[in-house]
Amino acid sequence: MKKALIIALLAVAAIPLLAAMASMPRFGSPEQPAYTHVASRYLQKGAEEAGADNVVTGVILNYRGFDTNGEVTVIFTACAATAAVLVTSGSRKKEKPGEATVPLSPVVGYVVRLLAPFIALFAFYVVLFGEVSPGGGFQGGTIFAALIIILSVVAGRNVAERVLPARVRPWLQIAGPLSFIAVGTLGAVLTGSYLGFPHARGLLATAMLMGIELGIGIGGATVFASIFWRLGDEP
Amino acid sequence: MWWQWAHWLPLAVLVPLGFGVTTPAVAGGDGGRAWRWAVLGSALAAATTLALVVRVAREGPFSYAFGGWNPPYGIEFRFDEVGAFAFVVASLGMLAIVFSGRYAEHALDPARIPYFYTLLLLDIAGLIGFSVTGDLFNMYVFMEIISLSSYALVAVSGERTAEMAAFKYLVLGAVSSLLVLFGIGMVYGTTGTLNLADAARRLGGVGSAVPVAVAIALMAAGFMVKSALFPLHVWLPDAHAIAPSPVSAVLSGLVVKVGLLGTFRLYQVVYRTGIVDLAALDQLFLWLGAISIVMGAFFAIFQDDIKMMLAYSTISNIGYIVMGFGLASKFALIGAAVHIFNHAIIKSALFLAAGAIIHQTGYRRLSELRGAGRGMPLTAAALSVGAVSIVGIPPTAGFLCKWYIALGAFEAGRAAFGFALVFGALFIFVYYIRMVNAFYFQEPVHADVVHAGDPPLSMLVPVWVLAGLCLAMGLAGKIPLTFITPAISRLLAPIGG
Repeated sequence: MKKALIIALLAVAAIPLLAAMASMPRFGSPEQPAYTHVASRYLQKGAEEAGADNVVTGVILNYRGFDTNGEVTVIFTACAATAAVLVTSGSRKKEKPGEATVPLSPVVGYVVRLLAPFIALFAFYVVLFGEVSPGGGFQGGTIFAALIIILSVVAGRNVAERVLPARVRPWLQIAGPLSFIAVGTLGAVLTGSYLGFPHARGLLATAMLMGIELGIGIGGATVFASIFWRLGDEP
Repeated sequence: MWWQWAHWLPLAVLVPLGFGVTTPAVAGGDGGRAWRWAVLGSALAAATTLALVVRVAREGPFSYAFGGWNPPYGIEFRFDEVGAFAFVVASLGMLAIVFSGRYAEHALDPARIPYFYTLLLLDIAGLIGFSVTGDLFNMYVFMEIISLSSYALVAVSGERTAEMAAFKYLVLGAVSSLLVLFGIGMVYGTTGTLNLADAARRLGGVGSAVPVAVAIALMAAGFMVKSALFPLHVWLPDAHAIAPSPVSAVLSGLVVKVGLLGTFRLYQVVYRTGIVDLAALDQLFLWLGAISIVMGAFFAIFQDDIKMMLAYSTISNIGYIVMGFGLASKFALIGAAVHIFNHAIIKSALFLAAGAIIHQTGYRRLSELRGAGRGMPLTAAALSVGAVSIVGIPPTAGFLCKWYIALGAFEAGRAAFGFALVFGALFIFVYYIRMVNAFYFQEPVHADVVHAGDPPLSMLVPVWVLAGLCLAMGLAGKIPLTFITPAISRLLAPIGG
């Protein structure tokens, strides 16, 4: 009965939503406002004035860089939230054995160890190449985090934690927001507005973009790995 | 002049954000150092936002374009009189953090304390950003920072009930965020812009009104979940009552206002475009607001738990503000906007005072707290000042805004709602009388309540600053009212004016 009522309610709620979708500007049409207004400038001038050959990177780091500044803060907030909810004074002391907790085939372990440097290289490639092609700090950071998570499953946490030492981890976790604040302040000094990029000096602008990408990548990877380990800590 | 420096506006967000993210790294596991760092960060944030308030009072609204891109191409911060809520956020946030120092030592696991301050500062940064941004998607980003940190702050004590309350809050909060995001997407799809002022200009020329109306409906619904308007309030009482008291003060005083500010921004966008007739939405707000006032007050009467009572009273007060929006007359809107500020002060005063009492005695039920007025005279007096304020007895902060909303009801020709408001105030009066009665006139049941003594200064001072503000905002009530009036006049100005 309750379920039927909910389904009926949802069906009724869907009617205005579908009606609204039907009268939205036609999807994919070149005349629709999403293409003709703000986005058209991004597409026409983005590559030269935003300092990145990849227009998407130009939009998320330059035109709308402050949104991304907020988003890396959201990611760190998630990390702090997990810590605030899960960490206890006792859980840190627990010594874990250096070996994998789940028995694994030696083939899997060998392949993972063999591939690890290549995965790391690929992660850095994606981070730094995001300026000219799809990719960037978020994607590259996630790949690197995946590597750390695989390592902690296969080789044990102690091995994986050596990549991101506990002593500097609180600073690595906030690499995203910190790199934004640093580059944004530099931009304020050079151009007069926060997150401004000096367009006249293309090389410097590109270096600033890369600095942010690197910060997002390191910060994102550390946050994901920390959350993963924190979930394992749960008593 | 010092307040004209353009960079105060981005700094208002970046200061609490920067201090917030660095807290765990700077503290290195030391709760006391984390507290000092957080107090410093929030004090600087308060000073920064003060500069903004001075500037808006002298010069009117002003903007900041990020990255040097003029809107609509880049992100714009727009500081207007309503954005002055940022100053309220920063100052109340600072008081709550100062209060937390001794409170957290007792109530929280030491390993969690640095993260607790991180989340409080990020919550403050998000709230300031939300109040001052002039961009729809940027608004959503800040809303996510606020929501995420709030969910975790409810659960930070680690009690099973707190975790359940936080989970309920998280599920409903996530649904409401999605509703808002969907609405923002539809606005972008129809106008091609995310800038609020630009969207207001372009909405007048869109082909079909249906998507715009649905977008407004979705965003209003999402915002009203965040603000816990009846019947979307189910998550609020548990979350606000079970959270640590300084967190309750921030959640109940500041975070629920996100939905109201968001609705106000939405109104600023759509009010004068004329593409959608908002009369139906106004009607809905009017009725739900009135029902919220009565239901919130009604449920509060039956609560024995002092924080539960305060939590229900928040629902009632949100009702006042939403009813003011629904009346949409000048007096009502001014009253509603000022009540966003005043309720923040009053409710923080009440929650911090209640928290101090719970901290000192270990009891949280009125039936157990009898005689607290004798045991902790200063704290109980502050709580009484807050109670008198929230009932709306002159000359306290609660009176003028409610008076203005009632005037607005008569101005709009909806006298019946003016009476609903008075009726609600009577209910509220009843339950605060119960509280004052228990504190001062009933025979104590626990001896330790009578011998508890007032809390340490780091708790007592924030409580009394807030209680003093409750009185000051009542005595100098004209100042916020005249301060906010230009924003309301611009909202209601005739089309083309």
